[in-house]
Amino acid sequence: MSVPNEDNMTSHSQLSSHFLGDLLDSIIVDVASECHRIARLGLDRNLEEEEEELRLSAQARVRVADPSNSGEANSKYVVDIFGQTHPPVANEIFECMNCGRSIMAGRFAPHLEKCMGKGRKARPKATRSSTAAQNRYSRGSPVSTYSAYSNSTSTNRLSNGTSGAAGEEYSNGTFPEP
Amino acid sequence: MRKSVNRPPTPDAGENQEKEPSVREIVNIKLIESGEKERLMELLRERLIECGWKDEMKALCRAFVKKKGRNNVTVDDLIHVITPKGRASIPDSIKAELLQRIRTFLVSAAL
Repeated sequence: MSVPNEDNMTSHSQLSSHFLGDLLDSIIVDVASECHRIARLGLDRNLEEEEEELRLSAQARVRVADPSNSGEANSKYVVDIFGQTHPPVANEIFECMNCGRSIMAGRFAPHLEKCMGKGRKARPKATRSSTAAQNRYSRGSPVSTYSAYSNSTSTNRLSNGTSGAAGEEYSNGTFPEP
Repeated sequence: MRKSVNRPPTPDAGENQEKEPSVREIVNIKLIESGEKERLMELLRERLIECGWKDEMKALCRAFVKKKGRNNVTVDDLIHVITPKGRASIPDSIKAELLQRIRTFLVSAAL
């Protein structure tokens, strides 16, 4: 068919656009199909993780709101958002920097009260503080004593350094690894 | 005489009963038979991946799936989600390249 050049141009342009649209539509269908497959098979990890997190946080909220969960008696079994349970009284053991005794973390504050002298039987201990200080510096590696108590690596976190501040400053002590 | 039934006029026996294939159909057949359509599709696919178009479309889909729930989504839904943005956001350079190739084909096929 002999058509003048200009007509050829426009009809060619039209045809080309038509076929480009055709190709594009096919590719769009392919992409949609692929995404549909990923969605239905749950292969999109991010989506899953978000759904998982939403579900877990909803669960956690329920547990927190649930009155039967709180209360001293049950507090052992409460699970936090990381899925860990904590005993009602912190049971990490470390050395009191004042008297050098091994103290349970949950009992540390009351111990310090007596140990550092608020009155009532506490004062007499003050004379021993120099001995306690000597003990502190000469303390070698009481590995045997501590390995019996420590049951997790987190003990190191709580082990107080040789600072004089009563438990306010924490620095990594010279305790050997259990 | 009244026609009892509405029916279109019967075509003459001599008339060509099949519609003549349109220019588009002819071109389509030629494209497919020569393998050019396949090549063009692969070229377009590659270009669209390179320029990030496919990733944009996938992101649109993911957002839609998150909203609607992954088990409530149909392919049709996703096609409708992608098509308007997809057709509009194809880069001009890619459009020009593909159009040029198609035109070349049309010329070479003497259409």
